[in-house]
Amino acid sequence: MTTRALLAAISGCPRRNIINSSTFSPSLHFQRQESRIIARSFSSDTNSSLPDISRLAETARISLTPAEIEECEPKIRQVIDWFGQLQQVDVNSVEPAIRAEMEGGSLREDAPQTFENRDNIRASIPSFDETYLKVPKVLNKE
Amino acid sequence: MSTTLFRTIQPNHFTLLTTALLRTRTKTSRHISVRCQTSTTTQQPRTSAPKNHGSNKLDEILKDYEAVIGIETHVQLSTSTKAFCSCPNSYGSHPNTSICPVCMGLPGALPVLSSKVVDFGVRLGLALNCSLSLKSKFDRKQYFYPDLPKGYQISQFDVPIASGGYVDVDIPLEFGGGHRRFGITRVHMEEDAGKLLHSDAGDYSQAMIVDLNRAGVPLLEIVSEPDMRSGVEAAEYGSEMQRIVRYLGVSNGNMQEGSLRCDVNISIRPIGQAEFGTKVEIKNLNAFSAMSRAIDYEITRQALLYNQGQADKIVTETRLWDEGAQKTVTMRKKEGLADYRYFPEPDLPEVILTQEYVDSIRASLPELPEAKRRRYEAMGLGIQDVLFLANDVSVAEYFDEVIGKGADVKSAANWLMSDIAAYLKNEELSISDVKLTPHELAELIAAIKDETISGKIGKQILFELLAKGGTVQGMIKEKDLITDPVEIEKMIMKVISESPKQLEQYRSGKTKLQGFFAGQVMKMSKGKANPALLNKILLEKLNAKE
Repeated sequence: MTTRALLAAISGCPRRNIINSSTFSPSLHFQRQESRIIARSFSSDTNSSLPDISRLAETARISLTPAEIEECEPKIRQVIDWFGQLQQVDVNSVEPAIRAEMEGGSLREDAPQTFENRDNIRASIPSFDETYLKVPKVLNKE
Repeated sequence: MSTTLFRTIQPNHFTLLTTALLRTRTKTSRHISVRCQTSTTTQQPRTSAPKNHGSNKLDEILKDYEAVIGIETHVQLSTSTKAFCSCPNSYGSHPNTSICPVCMGLPGALPVLSSKVVDFGVRLGLALNCSLSLKSKFDRKQYFYPDLPKGYQISQFDVPIASGGYVDVDIPLEFGGGHRRFGITRVHMEEDAGKLLHSDAGDYSQAMIVDLNRAGVPLLEIVSEPDMRSGVEAAEYGSEMQRIVRYLGVSNGNMQEGSLRCDVNISIRPIGQAEFGTKVEIKNLNAFSAMSRAIDYEITRQALLYNQGQADKIVTETRLWDEGAQKTVTMRKKEGLADYRYFPEPDLPEVILTQEYVDSIRASLPELPEAKRRRYEAMGLGIQDVLFLANDVSVAEYFDEVIGKGADVKSAANWLMSDIAAYLKNEELSISDVKLTPHELAELIAAIKDETISGKIGKQILFELLAKGGTVQGMIKEKDLITDPVEIEKMIMKVISESPKQLEQYRSGKTKLQGFFAGQVMKMSKGKANPALLNKILLEKLNAKE
């Protein structure tokens, strides 16, 4: 995380795009000035910044026992290392893409249509009560 | 003219740096943060401290501290459908009726972007003088909350549709007047969440209720640079946002309805200090006046802590504005940090704009408030008139039509600002409802100008036309105005004979007394005498008997 920031400071440039800002450490970090690529840097410290599994599980609302967390860690590390292979590719002369596919998609007309089966949707909600969905009281917004 | 204050802060360099630094530390930097950790770049010296509501206490504080304010505005778009599905987008529908698998987040449903949302995004970006990203993308902002069916909000994180713009405003005269320019960091497209409500019913006491009609409604989020320095400036920025979205027709901008929502980020720092202070977010602002008061309160609260040596009690948090108590209060403390785990939305392709598309939209933009204000000023109107006329796009259009028919600018402005505005207020109507057409108002102004009718009759006609419509010519006929010179002459002779003293004074040089005679004739005719004829004949008679 901090590595990325320092690299940004060192190679100051008016425009930058961060592609992937997840908590996983290997993140492509490149800088762009208009359409030219200035520099590309990788934080390839797969050793030091393994994500905090228990915190990750909490944000994803998945409950894990400590034993399960222990079990998960090496598996997740494996996945990260596996993706880490991508960093060996030299992409310095390649224009970064913001999406994978080649063309933009078609857009939808702004014409309203009522969904015919709304009753079924409402009926399939267990806590639906005539007008509203009943939900448990939530104290904190994440 | 007042000085134009223009702040330049190099945006993206510091902002993304800060994002990287802050994301691991602080709770919310879900948008590209605009706080610079190092000193700001070129700042032009302010010629006067920002004015506020006249509170002396605040003035005292502002001698020692500077407030740094940024605003995040969410604008609900007035499209016919939601952002990613064809459900109707209409306010006030029966709860949970505008739903479908897409906006309910049911498994397998896929979002499809509406072309109107892109159109409105480009429109607003251009109106705010931004650079458009010809290629942008959507990202998932992930968190869990009962009003968020999918468990994520489709938004734009690092490649927004527009960025790096500015807006020019005029501060109202009562707060010192003057021009200001405030930077706009970015504008991006996203979807709204549903509505989470407290239930009143007995057995709901442990629960809350959700209406998902609003889930998926398109929003444009506007993030400003932290360029505002006072509650007044912030309120004016907010008002200008409202004006612009209404002028463009992209939103009705009603804060009460929730179609315009402003969150304020505020910190203070001792004057001269380069580093920003701790930033506090204020939510639950329902009006621009509340925004201004909340900011003033928060400045005072933070300054007090500084003065007591307790600046560390100011923490990065979200506070709510309590309109009843007129203070900001802490929201319940959050556990841990918000990590939205942004990643590109895999179900949506890139948003691609062609230069031709952008140019065609730019060409179709209406005259925006700032341009209108400058044009009205150039026509010779005072700033007070300018601000009134340009405030409401319908009023401005009406005014433009009236002067387009050749009416005198100052007269048109006066009628609109005084009698017509008063009528609209009393009857609780808007200018579009009024039965007086711009054409007829122009006729009325012309008729008074060429002295076909007196100002007094003009006012009468105005009120009748406002209420019932009709034409000026028709009214004049109806009123049975006296245009026969013989009749007018008779009345003049009577008045002259009844006022020998004034006649004497007139003859000996007090020519201003012509007005007295004219007034008497008018009184006698109950205002129906043709003013032009009256004055012509009167002058003849007064000067003839020499």
